[in-house]
This record gives sequence, C-alpha cells and structure tokens, in this order.
Amino acid sequence: MTALASSAPAERRRFAVDLSLPVLLLFATVLCLLIALPLSWLLIYAFSDKNGAITLENFHRLLSDAAYLDPLLVTFALASLSALIACVVAAPMAWLVARTDMPLRRTVRLLVTASFVTPPFLGAIAWELLAAPNSGLLNQLYRELAGLPEDAYLLNIYSFAGLVFVVSCYTFPYVFVLVANALDRTPGDLEDASAILGAKTWHTAWRVTLPLALPAMLAGALVAFLQAMTLFGSPAILAMPAGFHTMTTKIWSLFQFPPRPELAAAASLPLLILTVILLRAENNVLGRRSYAVVGARNSEPRVIRLGVWRWVMLACALAVLTCPVFLPYFALLNASFSRVASHLVWFDNFTLQNIRFVFHELSATQLALRNTFVLGSLAATIGTILALVIAYVTARQAVVGHRLLGFLATAPVAIPGIVLGVGLFFSYARPPFLLYGTLWILLIAFLTLSLPAAYQQLQSAFRAVHPELEDASRILGATRLRTLWKITTPLLRNNVIATWCFIFVAVIRELSAAIMLFTSETKVLSVLIYDLNESGDLAAIAVLGLLMLVITFCIVALANSLRFGGRRLPRAG
Amino acid sequence: MASVELQRLTKRYGGVAVVDNVSLVIEHGHLVCLLGPSGCGKTTTLRLIAGFVEPSEGEIRVGDRLVSSPAQTLPPERRNMSMIFQSYALWPHMTVAENIIYGLKLRKLDRATIGKKLEAILASTRLTSLAERYPGELSGGQQQRVALARALIVEPETLLLDEPLSNLDANLREEMRFEVRRLHDTYRYTTVYVTHDQSEAMTTADLIAVMNAGRIEQVGSPEEIYNHPRSEFVARFIGSSNVIKGIGLDAEHVEFSGVPLRCAGEPIRPGASVPVSIRPHDIAISATEPAVHENVVSAIVMRGAFLGGHRDYMVETKDGTQLRVVTSAAERLAEGSTVWLRLPPQRCRALTG
Repeated sequence: MTALASSAPAERRRFAVDLSLPVLLLFATVLCLLIALPLSWLLIYAFSDKNGAITLENFHRLLSDAAYLDPLLVTFALASLSALIACVVAAPMAWLVARTDMPLRRTVRLLVTASFVTPPFLGAIAWELLAAPNSGLLNQLYRELAGLPEDAYLLNIYSFAGLVFVVSCYTFPYVFVLVANALDRTPGDLEDASAILGAKTWHTAWRVTLPLALPAMLAGALVAFLQAMTLFGSPAILAMPAGFHTMTTKIWSLFQFPPRPELAAAASLPLLILTVILLRAENNVLGRRSYAVVGARNSEPRVIRLGVWRWVMLACALAVLTCPVFLPYFALLNASFSRVASHLVWFDNFTLQNIRFVFHELSATQLALRNTFVLGSLAATIGTILALVIAYVTARQAVVGHRLLGFLATAPVAIPGIVLGVGLFFSYARPPFLLYGTLWILLIAFLTLSLPAAYQQLQSAFRAVHPELEDASRILGATRLRTLWKITTPLLRNNVIATWCFIFVAVIRELSAAIMLFTSETKVLSVLIYDLNESGDLAAIAVLGLLMLVITFCIVALANSLRFGGRRLPRAG
Repeated sequence: MASVELQRLTKRYGGVAVVDNVSLVIEHGHLVCLLGPSGCGKTTTLRLIAGFVEPSEGEIRVGDRLVSSPAQTLPPERRNMSMIFQSYALWPHMTVAENIIYGLKLRKLDRATIGKKLEAILASTRLTSLAERYPGELSGGQQQRVALARALIVEPETLLLDEPLSNLDANLREEMRFEVRRLHDTYRYTTVYVTHDQSEAMTTADLIAVMNAGRIEQVGSPEEIYNHPRSEFVARFIGSSNVIKGIGLDAEHVEFSGVPLRCAGEPIRPGASVPVSIRPHDIAISATEPAVHENVVSAIVMRGAFLGGHRDYMVETKDGTQLRVVTSAAERLAEGSTVWLRLPPQRCRALTG
C-alpha cells in the first residue's frame, strides 16, 4: 500500500504545473492567432490610407458618400423589418405548437427545423425560380390565369420588398425555436396557478404565458436582426441585380476591381460593433429570464383546446411554411428535372440531363465537393478537439486563467462571417503567413466561425457531467488523464459526435467568409452555387442545392438521434 | 498509532477561510464524524483529506507520511483512500459489476482474484442479482449499496463518506445507518464521515467533531458531546438544548430570572454573563408550586402541542426567556396558566467554551 505513494509528492506537483501552463499558453496563442490577428489588420486598414499613413478619411467617406451611406440604411431597414416579421409570424406559431391542441404539431416543428437548416442563399435562388419577373413560376401562373401579356408580372423578387421577404423566411426560425423552447420549459403550474385563481384561459395566456415568453421573443428578434444584418448570399443574389447594396454586398464589391481594401475595412467596423452590442443586449434579455425555468419542470402544461379553430390554425401555419419550405423545395426539385429551369416538369420535358451535367461534365463539381468534404471534416475534427479541451479546462477550472480561454473561444461569435473574411484576407495574403489561395485560409475561417457554438455545446455537456463522477475515479486510483479517457469521454461521446456534425453542417453552408477567400482552386460547394447563379445556370444550382440539403438533413438527423438516444444519468445528485 | 492527522489545517477561498485552523487526530480503525450545519466547512475538510483540494495552511499526515501541505499535495489517486459521494457518482455507462471492479482493475489484479472479490462484496451488500444492471435502473438504496461496494472492494487505508445517506428516504436512511456501522465493525477501516444529521452521527461514530464556521467546536464521543456540550453552538445543535443567559454569582451558581440557579460543569466566574444549557426533557414542570425551592423558576405557558408519545410546551419566564419543555403525554396544562419549572442542577450546564 505504501508503495503506491512512495515517490515524492513534490515531484508530482512540479509536473502538474509544467503541464498546465504550456497547455494554457498553447491554446491561448492559437486562439489569439485565430481572432486577434485578423481583427488587428482590419483596424490597421480601416485607419490608414493607400500609402499606409494614419487617417480618418475612410470613415469620413463612409458617412458622407451616398454610395456607402445608402447600404447602411438599407441594411438597417432590412434587419429591422425582417426581425419584426419574424416575431409576428414565429411567436404565435411557437405558442400553437407548444400550448395548443393544433394537429400535426410535431410535423410543424420539423418543417421549421427544415427551414432552419436551409442555407439562406439557396432559399434566395429558389425564390428567383419562383418569382423572377419574367421567368418566375408564380408569375407565369399568374399570367396564365389572368390572361395577361408576356411582360406583366405579379411579384418581383429583385426588389427591397422581395429581399425582406426572403430574408424573413430564413430568420423566423430563430424566434420560433427560442420562444418554443421557453414555452416548453415553462412549468404548467404557473398557468394552473392563474387558472385556480379564476382566470379564464385567454386571460391566463395573455397575462401569464405571454409575459413569460416575452424575453425569449425579444432575444429571438435580436438574433434575427443580427442574421439579417450580416447575411451575404441573399442580398448578393436579390439586391445587386435590382441595383442596390447592403453593407455586406458593398464590402464585397469593394474587393472587386478596382479594389478599395481600406474602405472595406472601415465599412466592416460598424457591422462588428453592432454585432457586439446586439449580443450583449441578447445576453441581458436572456439573463433575466432565468425565473421562467426555476421550479418543478415535471408538470405538463395544460393544452389549450382550440375547437374547430385548430384546423384554421393548422392551415395558417402550413401557409406560413409554404414560403420557406414547400415552394422553394418544389422549385428546386422542378428545376433539377426540367429541361428548362423555368418550365414546369411534365412528361415531355422530364430529364436527368441536369444531374449528369453536374456530376460528369461540370469540372468544378468534383473539386468543390472534395474541397467541401476535406474542409468540413478537418474543421469539424480540429474544432471539436479544440472545443473539447477548452471546455474541459473551463468547466473543471483545471488551470489558472481558464476564464481567458473561455472568453477567447466565445469571442468569434461577435464577428460576422464577411468581416472575418476581410480580416483573414488582410492577415494571410501577405508575408509572413502566405495562406491566400490555399485551403488553409478557408479552414482557419471555418474553425474560427464555428468555435463559439461548439465550445458552448461542449461546455454545457461538461456541466451536465457531475464532477463527483470524475472524483470517484481518481480516489479509486486513476490519474486525471486516465479518468478523462475512461469516464468523461464515454459519458460525452454523443455530445462530441453531435458537435462534430454541427460544425460540419455549418461549414457546408458557409458562404459569406468563403466568398472573400476562395480562389478557383479552392472553391467550395456554397461558392460554386453562388458562381453558377452569376452565370445563370439555375438547373445545375438546383441539383447542387438539393445535394447540399440531403447531406445536411442526413447529418442533422444523425446528430439528433444521438442527442436524444443517450443513456440516462442516475437521478441522484 | 494515529492513522489520519490534521494539523492547523486552513483553506481559504479569496480570503475567506472555509476551513479555519482545524486540528484533529483520527486513530487507526476509528470512525469519526464531522458534524455541522451546511456551509460549516465539513465537506471541504473531507475533500482536503482526499486530496481534491490543496490546503492554504497546515498539513495532513496519513500514518507517518505527509500527504498534504501548502507546498506539496499528493494527488487523490495515490492516497489509497476510498470515498462515497453524496451523489454516489456511479458511472452511468458501466454496469454495477463494472463500476465495482473499476478500482481493482486499476490495481492490476488478475481476473480470478477480481472475480472472487466481486462475488464476496456483491453478497455482503446484497447486490448479486443486480450485477449486470446499469445504475440508471436501480433504486436510490441500491445505488447507495453499489457506491459502498465500489469503495470497500479496494480495501482502502482510509474510507471517506460525504453525506452518504442524504439522498435516501427516511426509513431507508435509518436502516442504512446501522448498515454503515455494521460494515465498519466488519472491516475496521479508518473512516471519516461527513453529515449534518446528528442522529446519523450518534448511531455511527466512535468520535464526533462538531464543526461551525470552519472551526471544530468540540470533539468527543457521542455521549460526551451530548451530555457535556462545551459551547452554546454545540448545545443547541446537538439535541436542541435551551440555552438561557445567567449572571455568575459564585463558582457554582448563576442568577436567572431573579432566582439563583446551581449548575454543573466548569467553574463559573462571578459577575460574568454565563450561558447555561438545559435540555427540554430534563425540565420538570408542575402546575403547583413544589416544596423544594432549589432551582425552581415560575413561568407562564405560551402554547402546547400534543405529539402522541409526549407533549411539547413553550413557556416564558418572568424575564422574558422562552424555554421548550417536553413532558409526558399525561401532563395537560392550559395556555396562559402559571407553572413551576424545576431545572435539575446536574442537568444545567454552564457553557464556558
């Protein structure tokens, strides 16, 4: 027994210090390199002129020239409107699925998830197929029904209204998910308490349920605003043909010929600052919400009976889902199998030619698919390991300074993709790090962008593993490393796989950073789709878009089945 | 031979001493209870002994070797201890048998020996039929026994228990108290047991260390702690004594409510304010004035409750002190009536500690 403890404790202790300090330093350095380097270059460029002298001229241009001021206003209007629409549409829908006896509630939730994982730029392209003034399927139908001439149209998706509509289609799920989750977690007791005091059903819904869900809705609105503000794909596809810009497309155009990188850097800063402010606001709103989840969660909420209205409500919900899911998916399917993308598929023009073309004739497909898979798997693997170690260090407070690591790992959440793209371009298109034109720069971008969410997922997973489970292993004679391997890792296995899937999916659909960093050799699937749109090859896009959706759905389904299929932890604790 | 020895042990978190200058000697094979309210530092003390926490000051010795000091701390895995956690900490991804033999595998025992030991411990903890189950499929009491089996099978030098019964329901808890003591009598490991439940401590411990605000208030056998509390805190915490405020008259007497009161315990300093403890069931109550006047105080009944086996009264003396008195169920007294309390001198303990 004494043999177990014979070696000097002092030696052991020195070893522990030696190990933890380098770990901290290594990870802190990596994270600083990932985040601080591009942001520093962004600042340097924003405050210097073409010759490198310090100046405020860039900001002056930005605020005085209508070419830059207008996009700022358009972006603000776009983000506000789509956040508002998202709330008006999503909050009642969330209430319907969480608290009423509307039929097909699970299906509605699934369909919202589908619109959640649909890349917004793909939605925008699908709506081009549906509502372009001349070739749009809906406009053709309208002309057919009303007997109008060739140049008449009902809808024009290439307009500010069209842009707001399409962006709202893919931001409303943020509000929906947050509100539905909040309602799911609100114990039914709170409503029962109101009912027992004599409140009518609708009074309870108005005075108790709604206020409880309000913070979640506000937070959702802020996230929707943020998404709409930083989106690149949809405005690039819909606004630029209509002749106007948002901030993101403006930043991108400043890199086209003739390049104006200083102005692009200066234009990126407002986006960055606004994002930081909005995220703080969201934190505050959600931070105060904690009272909603306190208390017994086991009481089932009472279902509100809608009577005949439940069918009406279902019809409304499905009508809403027509816009982000049914119609766009139909348009993509139709275009995939039609000889002409803008014609309805029928027996006489059904074809598999488009699929053959994409996989056999279009040389870029193979390359883009390979790049996407390589980048997706690499970013997912490295990102998961990085997030796992940082989450362990912060959740178990294993080394001094763990807070700093946690902060660095969450910081990229405040960097919009296009801003990061600009920053990375500045950092790695010059010595000493010449990475522009390689896959590495894209890997860095994807890693940085997906790290915060991965870290937060794994950190909450670590929190759910009671530290005593690890203590029990150590007191029985296992070292810290052995404990990690034998106890912690098996317990977190499902979370680790889910995180991997999550990063992979995020990488496949990423466009706004990739668009700043790709070259012809490093095209990825999302960039390829965007490029094909520029050249008007809608059929090929439809095929690739469907492929992207299928891959995404498979991985999301895998991750979900793991998350809910895991073994239960013991009740005690 | 002292098996575990804490010397002036202190642990501070951000300047606040959670464990404050604690010294304690635990003899080989004894079961010591750290007893105190939540937040008194008893769990931190236990985690210091286990090596999960490093001391700010002081040291811990096990046998003749130093295991913890501010300069060097032996990690938990090399202390040859076992611990039972409040949450049981059973690994949900392993079966009962896998959980139990985990420590043996780490000790690289051969399969035959592991199998034999497993069988023996499963039998003595009545778990044989549950060996292939997962922890999530067990009741609270069964989980508790698995935790015990897992800790005992490695034959530790020292066994640590952190509120091991607090997650069980009342009946099971009572049963497991005796089980813990029975297992201790069988294996005689040096054991440190943390609890906030005084009857748990009384049933199981050889020695009780009452802790309050990071310090040890008193160490003694259950009888000593109960019969001779040295401080007001211990008197109140163990057996919920009445503590009355007296003024010292001479070495044996204090004045209380205008009456001289003879007390046992430490000598009293005249003129000093002296707290005196007396247990509710040691007070004799009568509706008529007794013939003997020594240590008799008059009081008024404030309220009473019938509790089946006994009655519980709250009375108030002339100086406004409220006392709890427990009487036989036959003693019926009206609220508001005047009564006489006799406080037996040998039961009045002047608290000087």
